[in-house]
Amino acid sequence: MDLMPTAEQDAIRESVRAFLDKELPMSRVRALMGAPADAYSDLWRGAASLGFFGLGLPERRGGAGYSLTEEMVLCEELGRTVAPGPWLGTILAAHALAEAGNDGSALGQLLAGELRAAACIDPWGGALRVEGERVTGTRNSVLGAGLADGFLVVDDAAVLFVPAHRAVSVAAVPSLDATNPVGSVTFRDAPCRILSRDRDAAARLRRAAIVLSCADAVGGTARTVEMSVEYAKVRQQFGKPIGSFQAVKHRCADMAVRAEVARSATIYATVSARDATADADFQAAVAKVLCANAYLQNAADNVQNHGGMGYTWECDAHLYVKRARAFDATFGSRRTQLDALVAQFRAA
Amino acid sequence: MDIKFTPEEERFRDEVRAWLSQNAPKTQPPEHDLKTRSEFDRAWQSTLFEAGYAGISWPKEYGGRGASLMQQLIWYEEFARAGAYEPSTLFVGLNHGGPTLIARGSEAQKAFHLPKILRGEVIWCQGFSEPGAGSDLGGLSTRAVIDGDDLVVTGQKIWTSFAQIAQFQELLVRTDPEAPKHKGITWVICPMGLPGMEIREIKTMAGGSDFCEVFYDEVRIPRANIVGALNDGWNVAMSTLSFERGTAFLSEQVRLTRLVDQLIEMARHTPLGAGTALADDEVGRRLALLRAEVEALRAMTYRSVSRTARTGVPSAEASLIRLFFSELQQRVFALAMEILGPEILAWDADGAPSRVTPEHAGAASWVSHHLTAFSSTIAAGSKDIQRNIIGDRILGLPR
Repeated sequence: MDLMPTAEQDAIRESVRAFLDKELPMSRVRALMGAPADAYSDLWRGAASLGFFGLGLPERRGGAGYSLTEEMVLCEELGRTVAPGPWLGTILAAHALAEAGNDGSALGQLLAGELRAAACIDPWGGALRVEGERVTGTRNSVLGAGLADGFLVVDDAAVLFVPAHRAVSVAAVPSLDATNPVGSVTFRDAPCRILSRDRDAAARLRRAAIVLSCADAVGGTARTVEMSVEYAKVRQQFGKPIGSFQAVKHRCADMAVRAEVARSATIYATVSARDATADADFQAAVAKVLCANAYLQNAADNVQNHGGMGYTWECDAHLYVKRARAFDATFGSRRTQLDALVAQFRAA
Repeated sequence: MDIKFTPEEERFRDEVRAWLSQNAPKTQPPEHDLKTRSEFDRAWQSTLFEAGYAGISWPKEYGGRGASLMQQLIWYEEFARAGAYEPSTLFVGLNHGGPTLIARGSEAQKAFHLPKILRGEVIWCQGFSEPGAGSDLGGLSTRAVIDGDDLVVTGQKIWTSFAQIAQFQELLVRTDPEAPKHKGITWVICPMGLPGMEIREIKTMAGGSDFCEVFYDEVRIPRANIVGALNDGWNVAMSTLSFERGTAFLSEQVRLTRLVDQLIEMARHTPLGAGTALADDEVGRRLALLRAEVEALRAMTYRSVSRTARTGVPSAEASLIRLFFSELQQRVFALAMEILGPEILAWDADGAPSRVTPEHAGAASWVSHHLTAFSSTIAAGSKDIQRNIIGDRILGLPR
C-alpha cells in the first residue's frame, strides 16, 4: 500500500506543469474563454506532442503505457489552472477507442491533437436511438460541446463514438463555466461507431469520468488554498498581513484540510477504478461527494479571503467557483451520489 | 500508487485477525469503575504481552513488537474491526511515557520502567496542563527547585487522566524561571503518592471522573528521575506529542468507521415518522455523507502512513487528519442523537448501565460517546491550536 506519488508520477506532474505554465498562463486561459474552436489548435497539438492524450493507453495503441493514476496527475494539473477545453472528453474518447481496438483513424487523430472530443455521459436529453451504425437523439449541457469535432457517447449499455458530420448539430450557449462551454448536441441518424455494447465498459468509462473530473477538482481545490495563502501573506490591514489574523488563518487551515480530504479520497478512488476493485463504484461516489464539498466550499472561501477584489471579474477566484459548480453538476452530482449511497445502505 | 498490501502483510493480517477473534475480551469493564477497569486493562495487556502484541510500535530491543508502519496500520485496523477493548488506563504509559523514555531516557530509566509499562503493570498519567497553561503549554508555572539530590516541586497540574490510580506521572516543571519560557522546563518522572501530593477528581460533562487535578506542596523527586537534560524538557515533551499526533490515534480513526456502520444499522431499525430513520431522505443523506467522510479519513490515514513510511518521521500533515477526525467524530455522534430521538433521554450520569433499562442501554452508550466526544476538539491540542499549527507550519502564514 502506498498512496504517495511515484517518482514517475512526480516527473509527469513536473512536465505537465511546465507545459501549462508556459502555454496556459491565466492570461491565456482568459483569452480562450469564449474563443472559437480553432483558437485551441496549437494548444492541443502541443499537449499531444507531450503525449497528454495517450498517457493511460497501452503502447501498442499509441499511448505511453501508463494508467488512470497518471491521467489523474495530468487532470489535477489541468484543474489547478482551470484549463479551458474538452480535455477530459478527449482523454475518455481515446480510452474508449483504444479499448474497442481496430480503430481506423479517429484514435490516431485524438492522440495527435488533431481531433477534440466532448463526452456525452449525463443522460440529459432523453433516450438515444441506435440503429445499425446510426444514432438519433439529443444530449444537453455537454461540457466543451462547441469546441469538439467528435463525441463520445456513453449510454446505459452502449458506448459510441460520433464524428462531426452534417447529421450532428451543436447548439452552443454562453456558459457559467466559460472554461467548459456547454452545448446541446443533436444526432439525426448520425453515423457512429459502436465501441461497445457491454454494460461493464460503459460503467468503467463512467467511473473514469468521475475520478478524473475529481482529479481536476482536487487541482482546483488545492489551487484555491495556494491563492488564499499567497494573498493572505501580502495583503495588509490594521498594519499586519491578514493571514496573521486567526479568522483568516483558520479559514485557510480548513481549506487545507478539505483539500487533503479530497485528494486522499480521489487517489484511493482512482487506484480502485484502475484496479477495478469490487468497491470501485463506492469509492468513486465517495470521492465525488468529498471533492464537490471541498471544491465548492474552498472556492467560496477563496473569494471571501480576497475581499472586494475577490468579487471582481478581474480576480481569478470566480473562475474556480464556476468550475466547481460545473464539476458538481455533471457526471452525477454530490446529491445524486449521496442518494446512490443511501440506496446501497437500504438494499443491504 | 497502490492500495493492496503485500502477501506478507496479508499473512500478518490473517494471523492478527485470528488471534484477536480468539483472545480479545468479549466483555468490557464498567466505564466509571476505575479500579475494575485498571485490573481489566492489566490482564488484557498481559495477554497481549505474552502473545507478542504489546508495544506494537516499540522497538524490539525494548520488548516491543518492532512492527513496520504497515504492520502497525494493519494491527490497529484489525484491533478496531474486532471491537477489541482499548486498555485506555495504560494509554499514557504505552503511547507517551514509554516512547519518551525510549527516545530520551537513561539506560537505568529504560531498564526500570519499560518492561513494567509494556506488561501493563503500571499506570502512567500526564502532568502537563495547568490552570494557567492549557493551549499555551509553554507558559506552565509549576516550580521545581534543586535541593541536593532532589527537585522540590510546588504547583498544580490539571486534566490529569487516571492520576488517582497511576503509579507514575510524566511531569513538566519549570526549573529556570529566568530563561525564555520554552527553555526553562524539565521533564521528570514523578512517582505518585509522594508526600506533599494531593489529588482531587474532576467530574466531566460525560459523568465520569477519569481526570483529576494534582497539587504539589514541596514534593521531593530524586534528580535521577529527570529525563533528558535539566531545562531541556520542552524538547523532550515535543518528541512525545509528535508521537501522539502520529500513529497513536490510528485505531480511534478505524473505530469511527465501525461506529458509522453501526449507526447505519441502528437507523435501519429506529422508527421515524411512518417509517424508519434510514428510510428518511434527510437522515439517509447525512449518514451517506458521514460514511463517505470516514472512508476519506481512511484514505487520508493511508496517505499519511505512506508518507511517513518514506520519510521515517511523522508528518506535519497529521494535524490535518487530527482536526478532520475530531470534528467528524462529533458529527457522527450528534447525528446518532437525532436518530435515536427520545431514546436518548434515559441516561445515567454515573454510568451504571444497570440503572438504565436494558432497552435503553444501547442508546445510553451512544449518549456517552456523544458527550465524551466534546473532549476530542480540546484534548491533545484544541482544534483552534490545530488550526494555528496548520496555518503556521504547513501553510507558512505569518504569526
